[in-house]
Amino acid sequence: MNVKIIVGAIVIVAGIVLSAVNFVQSNVEYGDFATAAQTGKKIQVKGEWVRDMESRFDAEKAQFSFYLKDDNNKVVRVVLEGARPNNFELATSVVAKGRMAGAEFHATEVLTKCPSKYEGNAEAVKKTL
Amino acid sequence: MIGTIFVRIAFAAALAAFLFYLRRQRGGNEKMLVFARASYHTAVVGLMLAFATLLYLILTHQFQYTYVWNYSSTDLPLPLLISTSYAGQEGSFMLWGLFTSMIGLFLLQYTSRKEYEPEVMSVYSLVLSFLLLMLIVKNPFLYIWDSFPADLVKSGPIPAGITNFTILDAGKNLWAQFPVEGKGLNPLLQNYWMVIHPQVLFLGFSSMTVPYALAIGGLLKRDYHSWIRVATPWSVFGAMVLGTGIILGGYWAYETLGWGGFWAWDPVENSSLIPWLLCVASIHTALTQRKSGAFVRTNFALSLSTFMMVLYSTFLTRSGVLGETSVHSFVDPGMWVYWLLLGCIVLFGAIGFGLLFLRMREMPKVPVEHSFFSREFALFLGAAALTFVSIFVVVGTSSPIITSLLKGKASAVDISYYVKTNLPLGIAITLLSGLGQLLWWKTSRATTLARRMAIPAVLSAATTSAVVLMGWEEPLILLFVFCSAFSLFANVQVGYTIYAGNPRYAGGALAHIGIAIMCIGFVTSERYDQKKTVSLEKGTPVAALGYQLTYVGYAPTPEGRYAFQVQVERNGRVRNVSPVMYFSNFTQSVMRHPDLINYLNRDFYVAPLSLEEASDGSSDQQIELAKSTATTIGNVQVTFEEFVIPDGARDAMMGGKPFELRARLSIREGKKKTDIDLLMKGGTSEGPTFVPVTYHSEQGGQYVLTLVRILPNEEDSSKSKVVISVKSSDQHAKPRPETLVIEASIKPFINLVWVGTVTLVIGFLITIFRRSQEARLKNNVDSD
Repeated sequence: MNVKIIVGAIVIVAGIVLSAVNFVQSNVEYGDFATAAQTGKKIQVKGEWVRDMESRFDAEKAQFSFYLKDDNNKVVRVVLEGARPNNFELATSVVAKGRMAGAEFHATEVLTKCPSKYEGNAEAVKKTL
Repeated sequence: MIGTIFVRIAFAAALAAFLFYLRRQRGGNEKMLVFARASYHTAVVGLMLAFATLLYLILTHQFQYTYVWNYSSTDLPLPLLISTSYAGQEGSFMLWGLFTSMIGLFLLQYTSRKEYEPEVMSVYSLVLSFLLLMLIVKNPFLYIWDSFPADLVKSGPIPAGITNFTILDAGKNLWAQFPVEGKGLNPLLQNYWMVIHPQVLFLGFSSMTVPYALAIGGLLKRDYHSWIRVATPWSVFGAMVLGTGIILGGYWAYETLGWGGFWAWDPVENSSLIPWLLCVASIHTALTQRKSGAFVRTNFALSLSTFMMVLYSTFLTRSGVLGETSVHSFVDPGMWVYWLLLGCIVLFGAIGFGLLFLRMREMPKVPVEHSFFSREFALFLGAAALTFVSIFVVVGTSSPIITSLLKGKASAVDISYYVKTNLPLGIAITLLSGLGQLLWWKTSRATTLARRMAIPAVLSAATTSAVVLMGWEEPLILLFVFCSAFSLFANVQVGYTIYAGNPRYAGGALAHIGIAIMCIGFVTSERYDQKKTVSLEKGTPVAALGYQLTYVGYAPTPEGRYAFQVQVERNGRVRNVSPVMYFSNFTQSVMRHPDLINYLNRDFYVAPLSLEEASDGSSDQQIELAKSTATTIGNVQVTFEEFVIPDGARDAMMGGKPFELRARLSIREGKKKTDIDLLMKGGTSEGPTFVPVTYHSEQGGQYVLTLVRILPNEEDSSKSKVVISVKSSDQHAKPRPETLVIEASIKPFINLVWVGTVTLVIGFLITIFRRSQEARLKNNVDSD
């Protein structure tokens, strides 16, 4: 009986410690391009899509690239593995998850945040009158 | 308006039912019970009428109601039109409430026979009251002019020709115009999954209330054992329905939404998985209590936690607290919903765990007699592992809350977190679900166990080898495959014996077989999948992943979208896939739906990425040039040398007066070097203008360069940059035909996941049948 409790306790404590470490490690923190370049870690950068600079989909490599201005007004070219994200044109802010590779930011995921995109708003009401 | 009244009546009645039941339980007379039942039935009828009203408003397109306008439109087919009744937050709370209230009718009958009615139904009515309170806060029957008073409410005479109006106040000449068309349903939801998936999920959520209420009943009556017997069929029912809902959601994501897989550890998915895991754990520990009387406290805690996690999950996905950390758009529903959901958690947590704490001391302590090699111990470990998985998923999903509390900035965990933490537990769970079936209650002899393990172990080693033949994987993944296969064969072996004895008892084994098959399917389809991005020029076959793919062209679909026809050829057999892509006015973005070919042993999955229009070979790109750094464009190298700023231009620039500025570029082509100046005229009211310069290449073709913007660095001019646009037309470049870019993937043995799901559901059904029969029996002898 005692052996069981001890074994169980060890397993539980080890599990909690391991998962806490894991939690901290896999937490993708917010940052800017400067910290991304410094740490080289996977990070998420919130910023604004620079609309008057080139954004295009490279059909050969299946990469979508655009320029993102972070909160410190640093503009970096972001290369996303994949197609143009949904709602990209509407986005008020863009979050890119990835890491720096040279002068570019290689993103695995790009989230777009839109102005209450599925909620009714006054403009939409006027259109349907 | 009538709908609002129905909701309010239902709320008042549910609250009255709670109070009457409470009185009865505190020694009130028989009359209280009559009042309570009448109140409860009133609440159910009120809610049904409210839901019927909402359906009526939707079906008759009453766009003067905000909810109807917000989620439906006149062009939706009937099934989807009906589904809009739960497409929005208000409606989905109503559906949840409706299911809860109707399940309560069965529970009322059931508990009155067991003399549990006042204890169980009081807390159950309280839960229902809170769901109804939510509908008062988030009212689906709000008039649109109350939502948008500034835009719709007008005063004065009504202009001729307007028929879609309503008079608000004749005395003050107030009237409101209302829409004649709705915003429509989000195209992501416009498919048959929307018709079935949410109901199943909410029915699952609703049935999780029952074990909670029964646990409270058990605690109040100091009946620590027989409540389990009553609760188990409901727990199994909840686990079956919620489990089906989860997998349906996964299939929806896979087949229609194009997530590429059926599970993405998304908060919405996780939030239904967490209560499911706890519910399944409670089913297992309940089994031990029925057998040996142990785990009294554990069973209370698990049944209470299951419902608490339903509430917490709802809080996570409905309160807007996850905000900006997920792909899902979590609409902020307002402070009321946030605090109400939080209040629910605190209140029902306090009732449940407070009561458990009060009764803890007097609960019977059953000495644990079983050994390591006993089914009890395997069940305990399995339930513990399931509980830990759910805790890890809760922690991961709550990461934005945890990190914002600790660091002030919300951030989500990477998907790898879930895999890393849960894989070892998954291995333990699958192993135990096989081992537990081979062990006897109390104790087993090691030699007997070894003999019974032999055949499953050999077969699972063979299965694992077969998987390794598909390719090497991480050892832990292979161990997971081994344990899943072990569970499969052990349960087949045991299940067959049970089936031969009494088919009604085979439910547990069958459910384990289903889970084991699913787990193997998870690994083969998710870890052994092959992916490739392919550009398909129209009419030209391209080989990818062992298939010949030919893009034939696109055709409009009946819904006004575009289906892209791709021929898929393998070994002379030609089949077609038609993934869909279109621009949606609703979401203002490109929507993409994959298509797949389902073979017996794999899926061939095609996700559209983009369509490149035919081009004549010229290209247009914008390039940022850092000072003194050469950049290759086509066959030339371009370097930004310096800004050429005439005297006085700087002052003019500062003063907002017209100025001219040049960026000097040098262009190298082989040994030839040419300097060109790109002119910018600024400071005028119509904004800056840029003058293009054409450069003719030695090898034919030309580049048209234009300044787009300047990025001067005041402190360090060597860090200044410019952005230019380059239009190039290379005479040698071939015109490119229309090109469809897709991601093709192969998902090996994904059918195992679906086969496993069906097996699991059948196993659950058989178990529900058996356990509800047992619950009906008066005697307490457990049959096994």
